[in-house]
Amino acid sequence: MSDGVGEQTTPTAGTRGDGQGTGDRRAILEMRDVSTHYGLISVLRHVNVEIFPGEIACLLGGNASGKTTTLKTILGYVKPSEGEVLLEDEVVSGMDTTEVVRRGISMVPENRRLFSNMTVKENLELGAYQRRDRKAIAKDMEEILETFPRLRERLSQKAGTLSGGEQQMVAMGRALMAKPKVLLMDEPSMGLAPVLVDQVFKIIKDINELGTTIFVVEQNANMALSIADRGYVLQTGQVVLADTAQSLLNNPQMREAYLGEL
Amino acid sequence: MTMARSELRRRAVRAGLLAAVAIVYLCLVGMVQAFSTRNIVGGNLPLSRILLLLPSAVAASLAVRPRVRGGVTMELNMGEAAGAGASIGLIAGAAVAVGIGIVNLIGQEAVRGVFNAVTSALMLTLTLQRSTVVGTAILVALSTATGALFALAGVLAPRLRRPIVTGLTVVLLMGMLQSVVRVMLVQLGLATQWLYSVTFGGLTYLGAVASFAAGMAAARLWALRREAAAADAAERAEAGGRPRIPRAMLLVPVGFVLLALPALLGTFLSAVLGQVGIFVLMGLGLNIVVGYAGLLDLGYVAFFAVGAYATGVLTAAVNSGSSLHPGLPFLLAVPIVVLIAVAAGLLIGGPVLRLRGDYLAIVTLGFGEIARVLVTSDWLKSFLGGAQGLIAIPAPTMSVGGLHIDFRNPQPFYYLALGFCLLAAFVSWRLANSRVGRAWNAMREDEQVAEAMGVSTVRYKLLAFACGAAIGSLGGALFAVQIGSLAPSSFVFFISIQSLAIIILGGMGSIPGVIVGALVLVGLPGFLTEFAEYQPLIYGAVLVAIMLYRPEGLIPNVRRTRELHEEEVEQDAWLEGVPEPAPSMTLGEAVE
Ligand SMILES: Nc1ncnc2c1ncn2[C@@H]1O[C@H](COP(=O)(O)OP(=O)(O)OP(=O)(O)O)[C@@H](O)[C@H]1O
Ligand SMILES: [Mg+2]
Repeated sequence: MSDGVGEQTTPTAGTRGDGQGTGDRRAILEMRDVSTHYGLISVLRHVNVEIFPGEIACLLGGNASGKTTTLKTILGYVKPSEGEVLLEDEVVSGMDTTEVVRRGISMVPENRRLFSNMTVKENLELGAYQRRDRKAIAKDMEEILETFPRLRERLSQKAGTLSGGEQQMVAMGRALMAKPKVLLMDEPSMGLAPVLVDQVFKIIKDINELGTTIFVVEQNANMALSIADRGYVLQTGQVVLADTAQSLLNNPQMREAYLGEL
Repeated sequence: MTMARSELRRRAVRAGLLAAVAIVYLCLVGMVQAFSTRNIVGGNLPLSRILLLLPSAVAASLAVRPRVRGGVTMELNMGEAAGAGASIGLIAGAAVAVGIGIVNLIGQEAVRGVFNAVTSALMLTLTLQRSTVVGTAILVALSTATGALFALAGVLAPRLRRPIVTGLTVVLLMGMLQSVVRVMLVQLGLATQWLYSVTFGGLTYLGAVASFAAGMAAARLWALRREAAAADAAERAEAGGRPRIPRAMLLVPVGFVLLALPALLGTFLSAVLGQVGIFVLMGLGLNIVVGYAGLLDLGYVAFFAVGAYATGVLTAAVNSGSSLHPGLPFLLAVPIVVLIAVAAGLLIGGPVLRLRGDYLAIVTLGFGEIARVLVTSDWLKSFLGGAQGLIAIPAPTMSVGGLHIDFRNPQPFYYLALGFCLLAAFVSWRLANSRVGRAWNAMREDEQVAEAMGVSTVRYKLLAFACGAAIGSLGGALFAVQIGSLAPSSFVFFISIQSLAIIILGGMGSIPGVIVGALVLVGLPGFLTEFAEYQPLIYGAVLVAIMLYRPEGLIPNVRRTRELHEEEVEQDAWLEGVPEPAPSMTLGEAVE
């Protein structure tokens, strides 16, 4: 592992790739000095992440660097041993997962994890489980089926029998049905053919343009940075780089270590 | 396309050997002999003979079913099927013949030292009451013919096969349930002599033909009705209208029969139905815990005990063995019993929230035993009567216009049980189709993801235990009413197994399945006393057979069918192995 990627830099809040200065924006989701342990094993170490309303932020890192753990910590599956997670300036770390979800975070899990014996429709409906506004749910379902027209033909098909790409779409649709303020995505490109990866990332961009804030975890750094506004790089549980997507793409250390150029 | 010779031969031999094993087994455990006095049709076809031929019949008809190989359906023609069936029957018959030979060679006494069912009566049954050689020869011939006939039935088109199989099943059931049907006919003031022989007890030949015809007609009508229903549904889908006959209308005749049953069946058979009712409640309750929420509870007897003992203590008026005897009226006691059961459900549910699958099963098993130990213990003796149990539990009574009804009598008891069952079934049905039901489904499939959807698994697990406990305690309450005294020895592990077997047989998560399961597993041994002795054996066999061949149960719940029939998934197994994308540049690789 190359050591030279550098010390953690302060997240450059609000400096988007297009250079607009929005310095005084408040983060919608923030991890403040978070450390997470599984028993005695330390996984995350003093992680600071800020995600701003309306942006796509990405978290890049190799295998076992702690990407999934970061998302699990945000969602309350594991409680941080130090630091706190804030959603709209309210501390949510320590709350039950269901409470965090109710407050507006939803997740597309690693490997999609559909309810494979339920139909596509049932999967999507479960996404809206904690909502009660029937009409709005029906409208959102319609909208999601517009975004993923393929799913409309397969509404009554068992989710487990869908192709990998279709499953990814159901997983995204299911998470969107919760009408989240922040959508977390864990390696949406995993296990997909390159052409599908392009398609999935295009859809992520579309979803974001419709107004959802997105925090996407990826190993496929090029792909993630091509749609993201800002990125964080995680190495053995520590954030070693944080910058705009553009600067990360141009960062020589980054290019050498992560983007496959020498 | 027809099948390769060698494959057909292999299949026939395997089916024949399986049938042989089944027959020898049935003989050795004594079932064949136990059924030798129950004539089904005429004086020459007792249940024992049917039992000797049934395995070959089933094996033959299943072995010749078309198979799909490599996208091609392989069918047998009539000749091949008959040949295969005959060999299956021959193998099975020959196995019995060999068995008879061995017994004669070593001597009955020697064999009886190990298999005590091998009596001279059994040998006579096997040789059809004739000399050994002649009898054995006839048996082998009969077995061969049965195999051939049923193999032929197996290759018939379903349109023809179904009515025949239904007809035969009806004949068998009418013969087996002779006492039940006869009592009903007598109660209705109808003649029975034409249907059941006075001398043999079984169906007369006329009766058998009539039953067969009735079965065939019913199968045909059912098929027509389904076609009509399908057409109707299609039409409705186009017109967007409602069904012509509302579903609820179909419930009227069912309700009528349910209400009339005790009058038709008389005291003894009503008592059996009351017992069935208790286990319908147990099944419905466990169905919520296991079928809906997916929490395998092997200690369900605990809630049965809670219901029974709470009812006993609360309703007892005189010294019943408990120092408490508030003498509450039954209907007032029931809500309190349910509350106590809910508390017990939460108490058991709490500690096992984090456990899954086999660990959960073991721990709940322990809780079931703890319940038994607690009611036996001296510690609670002053409340629960210790090892002596509780006595003098009063039966609820009611006076209607000078008519005094005692609910311990089987017929009124049946109505009480029916009321409880309807209530429990309604609650289960509403739960299954509500938000709660969907939460349970999600939780059963993937707990973690369910949480991410906002389903609080803690809350819903506790709710499942509480609902299951409440319904099971109603079963216990009925039990206390029915027998009037409670002994700790009534609350054994076998009750948990029985409840579980009922929902497995009927189909997890299916309410009608619970009812059918209870009727078969509790009702049948009650109606046919010969079966009672083999109850655990039948449970075991039923469970194994269902798990192997029809894991979704007899009356499946749609979702469970999807969960358990994995062929669909196998077909798409390649999906799992979608080739990893050639990662142009992934972080992991670059870093290493
Ligand atoms: N439940 C757990 N108990 C103990 N250790 C765990 C647990 N979950 C994860 N870990 C460890 O934490 C580290 C980070 O895991 P994590 O799943 O967050 O990695 P990741 O960055 O998502 O990796 P990948 O790209 O392979 O998905 C790994 O070393 C892993 O073994
Ligand atoms: Mg991961």
